[in-house]
Amino acid sequence: MKKYAMVVDSSVCIDCKGCMVSCKVQNNVPNGYWRNWIKHTTPDFSRGKLTRTHFQPGGCMQCDVPTCVQACPSGATFKDAQTGIVHVNEALCIGCGNCIRSCPYGARFRHPERRVPNKCDFCFSSGRLDRGLLPACVDTCPTKARVFGDLNDSESEVSRLLRDRPAVRVTSRNIDTQPNMYYLTATEPADWPTDVEFPAAYASMASLVNPVVKVAVGLSALGVAAMWVKQAFAPDPDETDHEPSATEQDRGAP
Amino acid sequence: GHAMAPAPQQGEISDHFTACDMCFNRCGMIARVRNGRVVKLDPNPKFLKSRGMLCARGNAATAHIYDPDRLKTPLLRKGARGEGKWQRITWDQAMDHTAEQFERIAEKYTRSGIMFSPGSDMQSQFMIRFAEVFGSYNITSHETLCLLSNHRAYLDTFGETPYPDVLYTKYIIIAGANPYEAIITPDTIDLMEARKNGCKMVVLDPRYTKTAALADEWHPIRPGTDMAFFLALAHVIIHEGLYDPEYAEEMLFGLEEFRSHTRKYSPEWAAGETGIPAEDIRRIAREIAAAAPTAMVYTGRRTSDYEDSTQIRRSMAIVNALLANWDRPGGILASREVGVRAPYFDIPWYDDNPDDRIDHGMAPGLIHHEGSFKLMRDAIIKEQPYPIRGWFTFKTNFMQTAANRNKTIEMLDHLDFIVNADITMTDTAWYSDLVLPSPSFLERNDPVSALQGSSACACAIWRDAVVPAMYESRDMRWICTELSNRLGFPEAFDFTLDEYRTWQLESIPEAAQAIKEDGVYYNPSKVYGIYFDVPLKTQAQKIELYNQRYVNMGLDPMPVYKAPRREQGKFRLVVGRTAFFTHSNTNNALLIEFKDENTLWMHPRAAAGLGLRDGERVFVTSDAGRVQLALRIYEGIEEETVYMATGFGALSPGQRLVHKRGASIAEVLEDHADHISGNMAMHETLVTVSRRLS
Repeated sequence: MKKYAMVVDSSVCIDCKGCMVSCKVQNNVPNGYWRNWIKHTTPDFSRGKLTRTHFQPGGCMQCDVPTCVQACPSGATFKDAQTGIVHVNEALCIGCGNCIRSCPYGARFRHPERRVPNKCDFCFSSGRLDRGLLPACVDTCPTKARVFGDLNDSESEVSRLLRDRPAVRVTSRNIDTQPNMYYLTATEPADWPTDVEFPAAYASMASLVNPVVKVAVGLSALGVAAMWVKQAFAPDPDETDHEPSATEQDRGAP
Repeated sequence: GHAMAPAPQQGEISDHFTACDMCFNRCGMIARVRNGRVVKLDPNPKFLKSRGMLCARGNAATAHIYDPDRLKTPLLRKGARGEGKWQRITWDQAMDHTAEQFERIAEKYTRSGIMFSPGSDMQSQFMIRFAEVFGSYNITSHETLCLLSNHRAYLDTFGETPYPDVLYTKYIIIAGANPYEAIITPDTIDLMEARKNGCKMVVLDPRYTKTAALADEWHPIRPGTDMAFFLALAHVIIHEGLYDPEYAEEMLFGLEEFRSHTRKYSPEWAAGETGIPAEDIRRIAREIAAAAPTAMVYTGRRTSDYEDSTQIRRSMAIVNALLANWDRPGGILASREVGVRAPYFDIPWYDDNPDDRIDHGMAPGLIHHEGSFKLMRDAIIKEQPYPIRGWFTFKTNFMQTAANRNKTIEMLDHLDFIVNADITMTDTAWYSDLVLPSPSFLERNDPVSALQGSSACACAIWRDAVVPAMYESRDMRWICTELSNRLGFPEAFDFTLDEYRTWQLESIPEAAQAIKEDGVYYNPSKVYGIYFDVPLKTQAQKIELYNQRYVNMGLDPMPVYKAPRREQGKFRLVVGRTAFFTHSNTNNALLIEFKDENTLWMHPRAAAGLGLRDGERVFVTSDAGRVQLALRIYEGIEEETVYMATGFGALSPGQRLVHKRGASIAEVLEDHADHISGNMAMHETLVTVSRRLS
């Protein structure tokens, strides 16, 4: 069993876009869409000679609490227990788009031709991992801002980095998605994940789908319900000391 | 468990070493090929020069090779130049026609009546060989719009063009360079590694580049005043005694003259010129001197900016000299031994040829084998000292990259025959008489090239075709062979590529096996201390702060500051680029998604003064021409400066993604030249910006 993760040292990102093109070519991502991104802070020019910009690479965070999986009524979106990668089984997908809306990172898009969600899978389905290659974005990165590996292997570079360096996880304010993309500290921006929004009308959705997938729908809905309960008992974010950016400080391997 | 979807694509993948051609760095690549198609390009991890990386451009080479805009057959112009009427012809007809035209021009105007622009391709050496055997002196390339003034400056200070050892440096000043966007390997990557190891980076640039965005300090210097900053830096280092006196005694020539020369160039004086506070200049001088010799003024690449570029770069070179960083770790390094030889060939003598190249004597420090495109163009228009009537260009697009496009078009009116070989219909191809389709770098076998990258490597590479040449494309070696057969010197190209490579690797025969196994051969040659106990190749055999040859040529022996001209109501136009385009190579379906047209950057206060709004289309007018493009109001630009990126506003409909998108720098830049090297001076244009035409 592996638990694939990415540790990003965003302080060395030069915003060259190499990761974005490499991913796009490897995964045949259609024109106008991207599976990964580079965000940046807005420079404050009042700081004069000290004006800086921080660039931050990202992509699907392969969350341990994947809101996309919880939002999926058909079981098409699932987290692979063997790798920790969140996949889309296109054969089961009913194209409802709930997973896209429920991702606080905007990591998913609807493929314009296949009409199903598409997202980063650490280049698993492209066959790179089977060939012993790194994900395309990691392999190509000039400054090696992105590091990929198995957190279950204590000798891996990602495990070592998380042992040796303070890291943060960027999550949404209302739900801790427990992402498997770690940023070495001082990453910016950290306030961009949106609140997770689950679509309300599961019942009407279920009536539209093939009976074969109803079991999966039921399981998935249970998952969502469980989380709502968890939320109900969670402290109100406004009453805690947390910054609105909801960046979780994390030290060491999980 | 869950079945995986989508199913992996069918077909075995094979891996092939190659070297990138999306810019001039030649980074190591592994091409992944499935069913005869290049499906992915990945970095070659054994390629030290590129540090096992591949940038956005290299990754986008799949869109380059499978570009629907590629030229497919030879095309002969039918209508007027630039009208776009073409007739498909066979290669036989194309070669016959070219040979006839070359012969006719040579007969009437001598063999130097044809100008050759061989580009910077790994096959450019074949075109140069062809031009020399054919008998023309008039060879020029992209470099005359690029780094020749920097070469000139360092040749005239150190006797060599150095390689900055960025990886090990502890303090770096970057002025007029932007290595995080104008990517150069290994410098760009090494600069981040050096930063991780505590190197301080100070950036001077009127524009907030990505290099500036990641610097410890960014100083939005007034454009064209860099020399004032560096003379003031030298002033502090010398007058505060912050240099190594023993080193100075042994290595520097003319320190006493330079000491008195710089007396007047105080930080307080420089502050008035540059806009950088005197206390910052003084502090930076002290900091960099304290870090010396593991410190540097970055030597940069494109230095085709000012009429005084060579002297500006001399002022930077002299600061490097004062830091005692020459030939030392973290400093600026001499060329290493690579071992690749240029195969010998006979250059015949033609009695009727003129004495020298057309631009000979027009700039005192002309680099002879490159010349100056700017000065050649002027001479062709004047038809003085002699006429040039033919032009053969290969993968060079002067119509989009050389300042003053209208003047380039005027030059074309003096030419009887223009033949262009390239991948797509560039603007230069569009104005040609005959266009020849070239294969991309993934479709041909190339000779050996030698590469250097500071302490990273001295290496040799070649390319073998990853996939067969597409359409009817033919490489430059084939073209030169065909033409030499028709023009009566078949012996000049009577070799196989294997034979040619063997000649090139004569002194390092072990290289061939390494290139086959790893995609690259490294020569374990000396890195540091190359000049230990060896005199420098300057006249004084030392580092020349004072250049005696300059005195003999009537030039200032030491850099003398001249303030850039300013005019009320006008802005200085600077140009540059992004990390995802090289020069005019913008017509790429993958890369165009990042930026599909350029904008004019202007400071908010300047825009407010003109009553202009963000995003509106404005006219930019110079003495050379006028363009229209969208305005970007942005604080990341010095107030008297405006900026636009290279590579847009193509005239050619054959470049569908950039045809008439944004504006061309070539249209609006005035064509000034560096007084010493003759290099194009691209930052000497003052423009007005307006909503309406006055």
